[in-house]
Amino acid sequence: MPRRSRSAHERARANRRPQRHKDVLHRQGGHRANDFRCVGCRLDVSSDAPGTTHRNHCPNCLASLHVDRRIPGDRAASCRGRMEALSMSVRPDGEWMIIHQCRSCGELSANRIAGDDNALILVRLAVKPLRDPGIARRVFLVP
Amino acid sequence: MSNTKKTLSRTSQNILKIDTFSCVRCGLTVSAAAGDGIRRNHCPSCLHSQHVHDHVEGGPSDCQSRMSPIAIAVLRTGDWMVIHRCVRCDELTSSPICADDNQLILMRIAVRPLAQPSFPLETFGDL
Ligand SMILES: [Zn+2]
Ligand SMILES: [Zn+2]
Ligand SMILES: [Zn+2]
Ligand SMILES: [Zn+2]
Repeated sequence: MPRRSRSAHERARANRRPQRHKDVLHRQGGHRANDFRCVGCRLDVSSDAPGTTHRNHCPNCLASLHVDRRIPGDRAASCRGRMEALSMSVRPDGEWMIIHQCRSCGELSANRIAGDDNALILVRLAVKPLRDPGIARRVFLVP
Repeated sequence: MSNTKKTLSRTSQNILKIDTFSCVRCGLTVSAAAGDGIRRNHCPSCLHSQHVHDHVEGGPSDCQSRMSPIAIAVLRTGDWMVIHRCVRCDELTSSPICADDNQLILMRIAVRPLAQPSFPLETFGDL
């Protein structure tokens, strides 16, 4: 490999924000096997997601399937219920996390957003608490 | 007010005096019974909680670590819920807010995603 291209590659690696260590399990046999059809909007979703190691929700409607138990990717839950985006959270490093909740059993999970997630849906989720009509009273007229 | 109601409120006042916990973050002594009858699981002052229940297996958890408030969820009824995450094991819980919860901290959690947007929000114009 020519020296110049290697150093450019190294620079790109250094500039990238390292991902926090996670105990994510990956299936054997490549990613193709993990492609799925969305339970919310029926979109065919490829498991390769820009910016994440493990796509777990639909980039179009953010819905997901309850398949993991304790560790992302462990596929240990028998529920298979539909997980809907409940709210938006921010990690200490500034990254947005979607809080999903299972409609069948109520289980919660936190998931990184992917580079191709529908940005309008993400922002709608983030402003949801602020659309509350009682918010002015909440802030200014505390009993 | 009826007699039964008076007795009930006196009983709940007794519970209020006995059943307390101290906040794992700020040390405040908190009564477990909130004014509106719901059982409190987080500190009204700093909104932190403690991982005492195992939500996957059910029953008590031996984790006992601090749970920090990470998000506000809005129910279909319009009620706000606080999402807590355990700082040690990442377990997530959701619990209703109480009338005397610190409103400033609640608001701070609610606006945090917009204060730290993951991408430029100007692209959306009017939401
Ligand atoms: Zn979808
Ligand atoms: Zn479930
Ligand atoms: Zn506290
Ligand atoms: Zn814990």
